[in-house]
Amino acid sequence: MTKFQATLRKNLILYITLAVLVATFFVAGQGMERKDFVITLLRGFSVGAVTFLVASGFSLIFGLLDVLNLAHGTLFMIGAYIGWTVYVRPDTFVDLLTPMALLICGFSLSNLWANLSTKSWFSLSSKWVLPWAFLLVSILVALFVLPRYPIATWDLADYANSPGTYSFMADQGTPIHAVASTFDKINPLLAIGGLIVASLFAAFGISLFNRQALVSKLNVRDFIPAALLLFIGLGSFAANDSLTAFLTGLSSNWLFLIAILVAVLSGAGLGGLMEATLIRPLYSRPIYQLMLTLGMSAIGVEVVRSIWGRPEFTMPKPPFFNGSGAGCPAESFSAWWQHNCSTIFLLGGRVRVYNEIFIPLLGILVLVAVWVLLQRSRLGMVIRAGVQDREMVEALGINVRRVFTMVFALGVGLAALGGVLAAPSMGLSNAMGESLLLNALIALAIGGLTSYPGAALGSLLVGLIQQFIIKYGTIGIPIPFTEIIFKPTPPLVPASTVLLMVVVLLILPNGLLGKKE
Amino acid sequence: MTNLSSFFRQNRGSLITLLGLTLLPFIVGLTEGASPLVVWKNAGGTSKFVEGLAIEVFILALFALSYDLIFGITGLLSFGHSMFFAVGAYLTGVLLKNFHLNLWQTIGLVFIAAVIQALLFGLVLPRVKGITFALVTLGLSSVFHIVIMSRELGDFTGSDVGLQGVIVPAFISPANERLRFYFVALAVLLLAYLLYKRFVNSPTGRICVAIRENEARAKMLGYNTFTFKLVALTLSSITAAFAGVLHALYQPIVSPNIADMGFTVTALLITLIGGVGTLNGALVGAAIYRLLDFGLRRYLGESASFINGAIYIAFVLFIPYGIVGTWRLKSFEIKKGWERLVKMSGLG
Repeated sequence: MTKFQATLRKNLILYITLAVLVATFFVAGQGMERKDFVITLLRGFSVGAVTFLVASGFSLIFGLLDVLNLAHGTLFMIGAYIGWTVYVRPDTFVDLLTPMALLICGFSLSNLWANLSTKSWFSLSSKWVLPWAFLLVSILVALFVLPRYPIATWDLADYANSPGTYSFMADQGTPIHAVASTFDKINPLLAIGGLIVASLFAAFGISLFNRQALVSKLNVRDFIPAALLLFIGLGSFAANDSLTAFLTGLSSNWLFLIAILVAVLSGAGLGGLMEATLIRPLYSRPIYQLMLTLGMSAIGVEVVRSIWGRPEFTMPKPPFFNGSGAGCPAESFSAWWQHNCSTIFLLGGRVRVYNEIFIPLLGILVLVAVWVLLQRSRLGMVIRAGVQDREMVEALGINVRRVFTMVFALGVGLAALGGVLAAPSMGLSNAMGESLLLNALIALAIGGLTSYPGAALGSLLVGLIQQFIIKYGTIGIPIPFTEIIFKPTPPLVPASTVLLMVVVLLILPNGLLGKKE
Repeated sequence: MTNLSSFFRQNRGSLITLLGLTLLPFIVGLTEGASPLVVWKNAGGTSKFVEGLAIEVFILALFALSYDLIFGITGLLSFGHSMFFAVGAYLTGVLLKNFHLNLWQTIGLVFIAAVIQALLFGLVLPRVKGITFALVTLGLSSVFHIVIMSRELGDFTGSDVGLQGVIVPAFISPANERLRFYFVALAVLLLAYLLYKRFVNSPTGRICVAIRENEARAKMLGYNTFTFKLVALTLSSITAAFAGVLHALYQPIVSPNIADMGFTVTALLITLIGGVGTLNGALVGAAIYRLLDFGLRRYLGESASFINGAIYIAFVLFIPYGIVGTWRLKSFEIKKGWERLVKMSGLG
């Protein structure tokens, strides 16, 4: 028996399933015109790409850390809202930069704190009193400084000053420029000093809670992130006005890029912080991680509601993808390049460039980039090895904890990227995270929970099925041998993917590309 | 020492709680000056309100108890448990409202439906394990959620508005005969609790615990684990469906929220607060959850869920065995500490 036959026999069910799916896809394509087919296909790709960004991070985290991060959808949503803030309200972003950088600065010195906490005068003192005292002081200082710190912000109660209005005006090309806020409630130096003290005390207090017996030696490199954060914080404090003027004067395209960058970085930072402080103590109790991430998710939604409000609003598309007027809709890509139209004719169908071309392309780019990272870099090697056998990697002397934090940060960063990319096409709402998390879970269950290619395949399937069902909702499916035309209603869109998931899991319990146990 | 007195001694705590719950409406009535007779005739204001709150706690406790059986005792992580509850609630509503059956016929049909849906979950049980089982059950329950939300069934389920206009039989109407409803709910909860207690201590229940601890080993010892899991699932499904029946009878509107994953999560959190796998933890947890939610919503309004979430995280991090679990672990130390305190104060 040849090798080919052996693989065929081993994966027969998988190939039959895939063949059935492909056949269904072609049958689905027969029922509609070519232009509808192109549009539906591209929309499916678009939804699939966003789902993939969430699902891939989720599967990386689950594969390596065994943490089912149910807060992933909420983090996706937070990424979207952060991106919106940078894009529509750069002045708020600059104002926030100083306190945020200073508050995080202390936590980036983890090795220093670990070293300090082993010193005899700290280890002799009580196990509980000292850490709580440090935390309490830090919280009190933060509570004193933060409410008095001037931040140019929107007002949820005032319609003319609400996020929706800002979004709308920016979309019309006439963004509102809010009045800059000044230090009138607190002395600037006191504020800066207070924030630094709060950050240092909080980080030290938390490190005293979980003391480690073994700490690596202090190195100059450990101070680099903190110095960088301090520089960013103080620099943005000193150059607040000029930075705001620079960002508001900048072309919206560049601002969009900055928004993506900031959303991804803050998502990654948030993820790293979450892993290091909350999830790390729970590796020995898997079910409790699940509960923890559920609680985080509830808290995250509430935070978003209290900051950005409950009403939905949109995020304007960058002008690069939003042109209209002469020469639009574009007939070809070169024409589009000249006019930057919002839509383009592709194989007879009128396609939105941002939603249906840019997002899928970026999705593919991320797919390739993370694939290269996983297959070709040392970190990727450690991650893959860790998915296979975590204890063995640890035994080989690799600091798996640090890799855990990095993977968590990477996963959440990917989700935040998905959020900020989806914001202009999906709009921002409190419920966007929940629905996307369900999509991503279904995609992963179909593709295989810990398989990276499986995440891509599953997301693509979920996106395509949803979009084809939506399209057939307007066309209608003629049922053979009868006169009845069946029109799938909107609730069938989520139901169809869920049903596919149940069927796939019953045939292949590990998903399409999941590894057999 | 007779058998009876040893029985009283052993179950002192439970009996006192039961007595307290029986007298609760009357005591609340007395605090605002209403005599027990007034309370008996369902005329008291505050006591009626407290009864209502307690009924909600009982229903939640019944639901959480059934979740504790499959999650805490048998070790099956299911994300579709809300479907068990919602099937009971919606079926009751639809049968009473659209088909004009009487209560006993309805309860009989709900019983059959509960067994059938447990068998449906049992269908996937041997195929998938662990987190995949959780995802498949989540899938099944979201299909059910989508079905009851669909517009085509609006006449029956009320789609996204919720099921309303259920004609509750007069002898148990929550508006006029709330005290009776209170005692019925309490009795159902008590019966379910005793049944569960007996089940867990029976040979079948011990094997369920063995499956939670190590399924391969239970199999190796010659038990067909599938049967035992199915038994636990069926019992749990019936209990949850009965909680759903009470919910549909008590609430004026059955909202579709009870069918989505959030409600399963509620059960998960309640068992966590009380202590996973302890049974009476589910009862304590339900009371704490509902009263905390009620209190926070009353004084903090919208930001209540934020505080709720923070409390769950604190529980996960600092009280992992829940209230009852920690009490069982530490009760000896606590008793010793109490005795020392008494001795030090010179009273003992």
